[in-house]
Amino acid sequence: MLEVQDVVTSYGMIQALKGVSLAARTGEVTCILGPNGAGKTTLLYTIAGILRPRSGSVRFEGRELAGVPADQVVRRGISLVPENRLVFAHMTVRENLLAGAYARLGRDGGGVKVDLEAMLERFPILRQRAGQAAGTLSGGEQQMLAVARALMARPRLLMMDEPSLGLAPMIVEQIFEIVAALNREGITVLLVEQNARLALSIAHHAYLLEQGRIAFRGTPSEVSANEAISRAYLGIKRG
Amino acid sequence: MVDFLQALVDGVMLGATYSLLGLGFTLIFGVLRRLNLAFGPTILVGIYAGSHLSLAWPGALVPVVAVTVAGALLAGVYVERFSFRALARQAPVVSMISTFAVWMQLQELVSLLSPSRTMPYPSPVWLPAVAVGPILLRSDGLLMWSGATLIMLALFALLYRTRFGTTIRAVADSSEAATLMGVNVAMVGAAAFLVASAVGGLAGVLIAQSHQQVTPYFGLWATVKGMTAMLLGGAGSLPGAVVGGLALGVVETQTLWHFGGQWRDLVSYALLFLVVALSPRTRWGSGL
Repeated sequence: MLEVQDVVTSYGMIQALKGVSLAARTGEVTCILGPNGAGKTTLLYTIAGILRPRSGSVRFEGRELAGVPADQVVRRGISLVPENRLVFAHMTVRENLLAGAYARLGRDGGGVKVDLEAMLERFPILRQRAGQAAGTLSGGEQQMLAVARALMARPRLLMMDEPSLGLAPMIVEQIFEIVAALNREGITVLLVEQNARLALSIAHHAYLLEQGRIAFRGTPSEVSANEAISRAYLGIKRG
Repeated sequence: MVDFLQALVDGVMLGATYSLLGLGFTLIFGVLRRLNLAFGPTILVGIYAGSHLSLAWPGALVPVVAVTVAGALLAGVYVERFSFRALARQAPVVSMISTFAVWMQLQELVSLLSPSRTMPYPSPVWLPAVAVGPILLRSDGLLMWSGATLIMLALFALLYRTRFGTTIRAVADSSEAATLMGVNVAMVGAAAFLVASAVGGLAGVLIAQSHQQVTPYFGLWATVKGMTAMLLGGAGSLPGAVVGGLALGVVETQTLWHFGGQWRDLVSYALLFLVVALSPRTRWGSGL
């Protein structure tokens, strides 16, 4: 569904991605592990069109995405739940959800209404808070809102950047259950996550990104079987 | 007591126009996160255009208002194009410096194209002041207040009740998230700029009809009043800008009544200084 080929992305003089290739297959959860500063967010931002790759290609459903402006990428069927959620803090929960459907509002007003109701059904806490400013929500509630807002665009590929960041373990598990459920419903997921153990528990494929390069790729069990990786990222000590 | 009430009423009527200037500033600052020092001078251009028309065509009030607003819009497009869009990839301070340069350009332009430094501006109403008990309501003040209130209601309806307004507020809240939702942030920024310029032009009409004249320093004056109103209201809050403008107006007229005109500006700047210095949580531009 998504093929990233030899992508190089730089900020000024600094090369954040030094030729990254990966694929997210239809219907799967693909996760990207790696330490801070490895380029994980840069990679998602490059796919989302916020950053432009210096070279390489990003193909989605067979069409080239590299160079497509960010506000058009969402119209191609890709939504990003950004790191730190970035909900519209001064707007109500309902306004946030409608903003998520911005690209559809003109064409598909009826569908948006149906989806809004479906989101409030799926996330009952959001219905309770529908008229409240999003900034007054707890971290976990904001993360649910960010996911629901991204879903309002009806993406075929959902990208998530560190959904567990700053959340209590119980909430994190809830978020991951939601991601797994969305995936079962047919949404392809590309997940960047520090919590490797949890990410691997729902992933079909995993990539390890280190210093702007893919250092390892495999299935979750292959990742766990690799001693160096499990020691560094899963905290498993052997011997 | 009567003095206090009279100054209060005068202050609210005057302050309503400061609120409009503050709203224009806040819209631009909130959406683009950049300070537009040339906001006052864009209004100056509109008022001069209206003044020229009123000299050529006395008594044509509606066309004068239209030309004033159109002049401010045109100058606003100029500022947006050259100080903001062209410099969007530069640091915000570059835009600010550029707006300072544009300010000087516009100020010189209106001076060069006008027969005298002070130009007349027509007042649409020549009604006597209305007495409500011991309080006198001057007609130009009433017009400022009612006009500003109507414009504010329209602006708030636009921003809080329409999809376009929701989009503007979303960009002000997080332009990054808005982009991810599919919003063309540059286009929304330009549109917000135009709305701000139109509001500025209308504020210009209301103020100039009260002053009945305009000089090239109106640009400086309007920038200072608008920025003060915005900062008093917390820099980035639309309701805050309304309150900030009203507070500024009331402080000015109270000072004028009780201490004399020479203290008027000093006291309002002292107030601004105190508010900025004492509010560590001033929300420097996060959402409207």
